[in-house]
Amino acid sequence: MKLRIVVFWVVLCVLSAASIVRSASSPPKYIGIAPEDEKYYKSSESIKCKDGSKKFSKTQLNDNFCDCPDGTDEPGTSACPNGRFYCRNAGHVPLVLYSSRVNDGICDCCDGSDEYDDKVKCPNTCWEAGKVARDKLTRKIATFQEGVAIRKQEVERAKEAIAKDEMELSKLQNEEKTLRVLVQQLKEHKEQIDKAEEKERLQKEKEEKEKKEAEEKSKIAEEAKQENVEGVEKANDEAETISKDDDNIGLIEDSPLDQDAVNDHDDLDAEVEHDDASTNGRSSVHGVEQHTTQEIEESSATSETGTDVGSKVSTDKVTDTTPVNQSDAARVRKEYDESSAKLSKIQSRISSLTQKQKHDFGVDKEFYSFYGQCFESKESKYVYKVCPYKQASQVDGHSTTRLGQWDKFEDSYRVMIFSNGDKCWNGPDRSLKVKLRCGLKNEITDVDEPSRCEYVALLSTPVLCVEEKLKELQHKLDLMNKEQPQNHDEL
Amino acid sequence: MRNLSLLLLLLLGCSHLSSVLSWKKDEFRNCNQTPFCKRARNRKPGTCALVAHDVTLLDGELTAKLLPKENYESPDQVHDQDQSKPLILSLSVYQDGIVRLKIDEDPKLDPPKKRFEVPDVILPDFAQKKLWLQKLSKEDDSSVIYLSDGYEAVLRHEPLEVYVREKGGKRRVISLNSHGLFDFEQLKVKKEGEEWEERFRGHTDTRPYGPQSISFDVSFYDADFVYGIPEHASSLALKPTRGPGVEESEPYRLFNLDVFEYIHDSPFGLYGSIPFMISHGKSHGTSGFFWLNSAEMQIDVLGSGWDAESGISLPSSQSRIDTFWMSEAGIVDTFFFVGPGPKDVVSQYTSVTGRPAMPQLFATAYHQCRWNYRDEEDVENVDSKFDEHDIPYDVLWLDIEHTDGKRYFTWDRVLFPHPEEMQRKLAAKGRHMVTIVDPHIKRDDSYFLHKETSQKGYYVKDASGNDFDGWCWPGSSSYPDMLNPEIRSWWGEKFTFENYVGSTPSFLRGLDPQSKRCKAFTLSSFHLFLVVFLYVCLCVDTSSRLIYVVPHLVEVSMPRDALHLGGVEHREVHNAYGYYFHMATSNGLVKRGDGKDRPFVLSRAFFAGSQRYGAVWTGDNTADWDQLRVSVPMILTLGLTGMSFSGADVGGFFGNPEPELLVRWYQIGAYYPFFRAHAHHDTKRREPWLFGERNTELIRDAIHMRYMLLPYFYTLFREANTSGVPVARPLWMEFPSDEVTFRNDEAFMVGNSLLVQGIYTERVKHTSVYLPGKESWYDLKTGAVYKGGMTHKLEVSEESVPAFQKAGTIIPRKDRFRRSSTQMVNDPYTLVIALNSSQKAEGELYVDDGKSFSFEQGAYIHRRFVFSDGKLTSLNVASNAPGRAQFSSECLIERIILLGHSAGPKTALIEPENKNVEIETGPLLLKSKRGSGFITIRKPNVPVAGDWTIKIL
Repeated sequence: MKLRIVVFWVVLCVLSAASIVRSASSPPKYIGIAPEDEKYYKSSESIKCKDGSKKFSKTQLNDNFCDCPDGTDEPGTSACPNGRFYCRNAGHVPLVLYSSRVNDGICDCCDGSDEYDDKVKCPNTCWEAGKVARDKLTRKIATFQEGVAIRKQEVERAKEAIAKDEMELSKLQNEEKTLRVLVQQLKEHKEQIDKAEEKERLQKEKEEKEKKEAEEKSKIAEEAKQENVEGVEKANDEAETISKDDDNIGLIEDSPLDQDAVNDHDDLDAEVEHDDASTNGRSSVHGVEQHTTQEIEESSATSETGTDVGSKVSTDKVTDTTPVNQSDAARVRKEYDESSAKLSKIQSRISSLTQKQKHDFGVDKEFYSFYGQCFESKESKYVYKVCPYKQASQVDGHSTTRLGQWDKFEDSYRVMIFSNGDKCWNGPDRSLKVKLRCGLKNEITDVDEPSRCEYVALLSTPVLCVEEKLKELQHKLDLMNKEQPQNHDEL
Repeated sequence: MRNLSLLLLLLLGCSHLSSVLSWKKDEFRNCNQTPFCKRARNRKPGTCALVAHDVTLLDGELTAKLLPKENYESPDQVHDQDQSKPLILSLSVYQDGIVRLKIDEDPKLDPPKKRFEVPDVILPDFAQKKLWLQKLSKEDDSSVIYLSDGYEAVLRHEPLEVYVREKGGKRRVISLNSHGLFDFEQLKVKKEGEEWEERFRGHTDTRPYGPQSISFDVSFYDADFVYGIPEHASSLALKPTRGPGVEESEPYRLFNLDVFEYIHDSPFGLYGSIPFMISHGKSHGTSGFFWLNSAEMQIDVLGSGWDAESGISLPSSQSRIDTFWMSEAGIVDTFFFVGPGPKDVVSQYTSVTGRPAMPQLFATAYHQCRWNYRDEEDVENVDSKFDEHDIPYDVLWLDIEHTDGKRYFTWDRVLFPHPEEMQRKLAAKGRHMVTIVDPHIKRDDSYFLHKETSQKGYYVKDASGNDFDGWCWPGSSSYPDMLNPEIRSWWGEKFTFENYVGSTPSFLRGLDPQSKRCKAFTLSSFHLFLVVFLYVCLCVDTSSRLIYVVPHLVEVSMPRDALHLGGVEHREVHNAYGYYFHMATSNGLVKRGDGKDRPFVLSRAFFAGSQRYGAVWTGDNTADWDQLRVSVPMILTLGLTGMSFSGADVGGFFGNPEPELLVRWYQIGAYYPFFRAHAHHDTKRREPWLFGERNTELIRDAIHMRYMLLPYFYTLFREANTSGVPVARPLWMEFPSDEVTFRNDEAFMVGNSLLVQGIYTERVKHTSVYLPGKESWYDLKTGAVYKGGMTHKLEVSEESVPAFQKAGTIIPRKDRFRRSSTQMVNDPYTLVIALNSSQKAEGELYVDDGKSFSFEQGAYIHRRFVFSDGKLTSLNVASNAPGRAQFSSECLIERIILLGHSAGPKTALIEPENKNVEIETGPLLLKSKRGSGFITIRKPNVPVAGDWTIKIL
């Protein structure tokens, strides 16, 4: 009997408790409040709206009527459009929801705390969900740990490569300076010779002409006139060819730059090869170096004599009759041709190195190795080719569509932008956004076209495995582990 | 990357067309190129020689025979002999001031063919409203019949004229053939040497029945303007198309066409046709004229003075607008509506063609569409982004690319391998999915639908009796003959769970996955919500040289000599083809839901009566400011002609809107009855969060405004459903005697309480808004008061378009923003009471289950809130008939805001509970920092369904 009464009372208590919960339309007083905010709400009877617009009393807290425009007074109900609901989600990560999610019949918090009006039953799934999330995070951290190490090496390698490139550049610049002087001298010399020869030729022609004229004096005056005109024309022609040649020389001097732009790709490949088989690259560079030094020695020697020759020539000029030394002239010409070819080669290399250095390689120059690399991904019938600092394309058999030219990094080096690709019919110019993720290899993992002709690709790379992010993740994992509920066994 | 290749494929397929992809006037037939139109327009007033003979009452109607006047020398010798056969005229009268005039050939005289009467448009029960005429009074040369207490209808025998006038008085309302332009080309036998064929841009129309057009003049009296006859991208008040000073001389055309990149401000016909015109004037009010005829129609609005030389004089004491109606075929079956108020006329018209269907609640919320959400991942992303940005939406749409090669009722299994799962995910958030079904069926023998349709012989036939084969999205396609009720019913079956989707996951599990039936996917019926929207893409005949052109490009229609049920030519039924499709689909969805759920079918094509079957939209508009501007008169015109549930694509279908244009479009689109964003697949993505934080916020606010006002909108949809009065109304519908409003089509009323006006110009700082009436208006966001009856120059804010609540009204709101309207069902209400100068206000609230047809049995709540003498009373408007089905709601009213009330009161008393509640000052909008300090009754928490009063103490 006694037992029965006890049971009866227990049942009654439970029932009445339940009915209290049910009948009270207002929620538990402090629901939806983040732990760090609890003090704010509990400190006094009159609470300020966080935006400072008004005050509300403790009875107005979570009374299902919106008083603060910013929702401060209703963290636990859906009454305020700007409200935020905090769920603790013990066993998983805490979540802050728009308060419009509270009691809307959809379980948003894994602990079910956002649905307390009994219209729907939300089981607590935090432990399972948390475990999945923790495992995922643990795996992510492992990747990051490995990635961070790779990244460090990458940064070191970049440093070396930069130093090497810089050294090469300054060397080349020096060489270029001296070689330019030499080429200039040779050019002048050559021109003097050219002039002398020309004079000689004209003289000869004149003489011959006079001779002819004398011989053909008997012929009709008109004919003679005509020939005269022809002669002038011819001379003009010759003058033109000479000036054209001058232009050509100008072009050759400019060409390294142009070529660089057009044949970037080949150039790049070549450079990559250099890097890979550095001895090969070195030797070729050395080759040039040695050669030039030799030349410089040679030419300086010749230039000494050259001045002599020059003075001689000038004296010759005065005398006006001495014929030009043919073998000398040929040698000077050959030297000039060779050294100016060498000069343009060096200039081309300098230009491509300076072009490279102008690029943005990231805070730690961590993207230095991306220069000259291309990443490919095959998606059904297309091959997507992404070449940082150059361009990106979509290859379908023999046809190539340019998705964009290298533009820039965005979002603190987390996104690469390629823009101004091939025009889309009735649409924009194609463009590609490459989102970078931490991964152990450089690898394009996905290409998509969410909007017409605006492509998005994912590139996983160790370069993005940043130490700070790793710390953040570890911290997050620590928090998650700490938040494990004591009573998770119930589940 | 199938999706990519698909897009590229489309790209390739279309690239060679780029040069022709823009609206070109000369692609379409103008009046001069349309023989019947040209002939009719060349007729001179007074040429009609018909005289009414044998006028009698028969079966409660007036009947007469029409014959040419004896000895009359017809100037039109060709028709002389044929026109001598009498025509039969009948004049009948219906309740509420409706006259019906029919004129047709006499079936007893054995015409070569029965002329087409449009079936299934007039409500079946309309016949019961017929008044049995008892008496025919003769008056001079006229017969007069009773119409209603205030009006009578008159048939003048010679010359023939039919008109409605005020009883006893001389004041006329509407008349027909007052200018003697009536002409009826009777069917005849082809004579030797006669050339009946017509050609246009490579198409040949064999015209086996020869000329058969009808034309006549209609005059509206005491009219300042005429309105209606959609669909045109043009002003609300129709402009004269002929007469002194009219430059553009094309009539308003009614011929349903898929017009690629239509231009604004043109009388050219678009996707739908409703041959219903309304006149309105300050002195008499409103009247209407409807011609039930589905052939191509051309209508001239004649500028005053057009008939100066005709020698015809009509009562000059009344101002008048004359119009001229021409149709290629059919019969005269016309309705005169006497009004006299604007709401009376739409009510009279919808008593003939049907009231707008009551939509489900979700359909009145915001819809997100794009051609196309490409795959399941895309759908999931878009869906979750809405949540991420706290923007509600109710429906996600899938356009044609979701199908397996444009075979409707199927899924592209690569892009959408798990449609049921996808829909289940949406349904879990209370959201819905709409898929598209087009009427063109791919001619592919392995396609179950084509196989069945062709086997059953259900396709429309070409002139030589073979299945008509037209070119549309799927390639070679044919069209089921929806004129046939049997085919409509068969089509409706295609939407059953069994045919389109499985009713339960286990139901179809045993089927061979290779079988075609499995293309229909399985789905748990519980989560399913599939609705269908419908294009009528009337396409090019494959025999023409235009074979590879996408249908949008030219005057693309099924050939006029194609054959429907019973030898009906396509020319006769053209404008109603989409209507029958809409009907069949809508009825199919009802069947699918076991008759329980209200269907939702959006169509681009429409005809008189389409309002019974769902919503329409204004088709493929363009992202520019002019098209934003013209969307308002287009929607208002649709509303006036019965199509209350209509909207324009927010953002503009073609092209890329600047963020400012997009935001402005959302701000006005939130007040369209049908609120959907849509975009062409060549356009950039434009979901609300793609234009920076500020624009996202502005768009969110616009969408929130719609969700907040959903209870008000839903109440208005119910009003439309019971009375035909549209949700979006021209100002003059609410202020019929305020002349300033007659031409205003930049602002409109939402119901009787809200006035909104779009911002149609880039970067404007100020705008002028005319606020009609004697009462004041309250700014919807700030609560600021503006005087009525004047134009206000307002500062323009980027936050909203001008919107005002009329003093004297009460608007019910729900101020909690959820993911979709589904989660708002239990949320409490806010009432906003805008007091007028005598401190009074009134408003209504209608609530039902938002889904089923049980409201038809009375399962709804309908309250009227009346505020006067400092007391708010909630009254029941619903009938208390015994046996009425019940609907209950536990929703409370959490807040009552009083605009225009003096400050001071601190408490209110609720009766019958005898409970005191607090009054404080509060904001008009919870989110807004502007507009504060309004008398607010805090937490009255009275049940929305109950009878109570709240007295301000």
